[in-house]
Amino acid sequence: MKLLVTGVSHKTAPVEVRECLAFREETLRPALADLKAREGVVEAVILSTCNRVEVIVTTEDSADPVAIVDGFLADLKGLSPDTIAPHVFRHEGREAIHHLFRVAASLDSMVIGEPQILGQLKNAYAAAKDSGAICGWLDGLLARAFNVAKRVRSETGIGQMAVSISYAAVELARKIFGSLNHRTVMIVGAGKMSELAARHLRRSGASHVFVTNRTHERAIEMAKLFQGTPVEYTRFVGMLPEVDIVIASSGAPHYILRKDEMSRVISARRNKPMFLIDIAVPRNIEPAVNEVDNVFLYDIDDLQEVVNANLRERMKEADHAESLVDEEVERMMARLKVAEVTPTIVGLQGQLEQIRASELEKMRRKLGPLTPEQEQALEALTRGIVNKIAHGPISELRNHAGNPEGAHVVAFIRKAFHLQD
Amino acid sequence: MDEMSVIWLRVAVALYSLGLLHAILTLVRRRDHLFRVALGAFSIGAVFHFVSIIEEGLRNNRCPIGNLYETLSMGAFLIVILFLFIHWRYKVESISVFIFPLVFVMALVSTMGNPVSAWANPLVRNVWLTVHIVLVLLGIAALLFTAVASLLYLFQERELKNKKPRKFYYRLPALGTLDDLISRSMALGFVLMTLAVIAASTWAFIEHKTAWIYQPAIAISFITWGIYMALVFLRTAAGWRGKKAAIMTVTVLGFSALTWAAHARLGLLLKR
Repeated sequence: MKLLVTGVSHKTAPVEVRECLAFREETLRPALADLKAREGVVEAVILSTCNRVEVIVTTEDSADPVAIVDGFLADLKGLSPDTIAPHVFRHEGREAIHHLFRVAASLDSMVIGEPQILGQLKNAYAAAKDSGAICGWLDGLLARAFNVAKRVRSETGIGQMAVSISYAAVELARKIFGSLNHRTVMIVGAGKMSELAARHLRRSGASHVFVTNRTHERAIEMAKLFQGTPVEYTRFVGMLPEVDIVIASSGAPHYILRKDEMSRVISARRNKPMFLIDIAVPRNIEPAVNEVDNVFLYDIDDLQEVVNANLRERMKEADHAESLVDEEVERMMARLKVAEVTPTIVGLQGQLEQIRASELEKMRRKLGPLTPEQEQALEALTRGIVNKIAHGPISELRNHAGNPEGAHVVAFIRKAFHLQD
Repeated sequence: MDEMSVIWLRVAVALYSLGLLHAILTLVRRRDHLFRVALGAFSIGAVFHFVSIIEEGLRNNRCPIGNLYETLSMGAFLIVILFLFIHWRYKVESISVFIFPLVFVMALVSTMGNPVSAWANPLVRNVWLTVHIVLVLLGIAALLFTAVASLLYLFQERELKNKKPRKFYYRLPALGTLDDLISRSMALGFVLMTLAVIAASTWAFIEHKTAWIYQPAIAISFITWGIYMALVFLRTAAGWRGKKAAIMTVTVLGFSALTWAAHARLGLLLKR
């Protein structure tokens, strides 16, 4: 059996090419049925996302999987192999397994470690399963790929660090407060960005949102979005001692929070920490506020810096993840090797045992009744001979398993010992 | 001290012990417990305490500040009056976790001015001392935990202030989590240490009669406990965090080590 992965990804093809090859959800199942029906195809899976389109097939040994997939793409998408050739990657056998594991573990993604790809791969698998395009071998391989992804996620920190500004803010809030439950948020200045950050904070457990804005109507409007409380703009500083997280994004041309004010707020809070997020340009909060004990002030550049550091950290984790994937590929290959030669080994042993048993029976008939000692000696002698004969071919099979000539060795031994297919 | 006066003082100490219970529960469970009851007992205790002081003064026909025990009793009484006044005027409950144990221990020590009979049974003596040692060791363990968590807090706080995440930022727990850990282990350590101080002073009182209080090692122990109490107060009432709290915790740990060194031969007393 042959395994081939053919595809394009954000690394190999521009979006113009990817969109030509993409399969919409409603066309996926007919396409799978078409591919599966082609001669020589055993199993098929199609993964189609905005960043990649991959066709995974297993075929019979006699078939040419490259020609089959090229024909399939030419028929369905009207693209000749030559036009897409510069953008297409193909992986066979071991390489294909390695590639699938990397994709599932999000090591091949545009943002390394993003979790969506695993879900998309699972959907592709479910679609193939539903349309009957998977029947055994690929099933096992994809299940293994999902496990690899899970292992990478749990054993490395690849998906842990936020890589967007608004998530970085939430992550920092968690680093400061531990849990965000029962934390209160104050939004100063109603803008899209602050709305997004507040939404993430709310979803992560923040209990209440206060909104203040120079135009009070806008504050009321936005407070409704979070079941929050609008606060008069003139009163918001007085409320700060009750607030844990402040998101400032007002259009004010000057600082609206200064160091001396924040010092007073912090003493009124009895030194409980506060997290100030200033995403306004020009900035709303005096930078010196960060010098006040137990106040953590981050402006938009600071958040970007955190995101960059997180990306670097993800890269480091990715190295670790790559070695995990390599290890898993080795394991998979070892398993496949064994699976490849096991039937022949079992057949050979069965064949020899059968010969031994029938010859022994003939001999018994000739010799008449034997003493238990004689019986034992004959048993040991014949078993010894059979095991010695089997040893050579079995170790040959094991040694060549997984190698290109492995199939020839298997075929030769089957023929030499008259093993039936 | 006069017999009657000591009896009144013991009644006052029994009532003050409810205050101690309130402080312990509040620290360990981190919610106010029994404050009303403790305050009531505290006020009634103050009345008995007052009677004790008057009795002592009338008996000796002088102001009862003639020796350390009388002075401690007077000091504790004045603290009680001051606290009750402040509470009546400003309703500050938070300082109770600091005042109640202080008053209890001061009043307890001042009841020890009169020698009592010697140990009825050497086993009781040994078990009593062992309980004290175990409590102190557990207290020091909790304190060590607090100190380590405080240092980690400092590192993480610096990372967050610097805004350039490095290794510590990713590996260390959140500030809030560390703060929680510090509060819990500090409170537990304080409760254990307070019980140890009570066990030790009663033991020493029976063992050495009235002379125990004048030993320098005892003074160091009380100073250590006092600083620990100040730490607990500053953290719970004033919300001290970060650098200040870390320095304070390490100081308490240092004093604990000193106290330990001063009592290094304590175990030998067991074998006698």
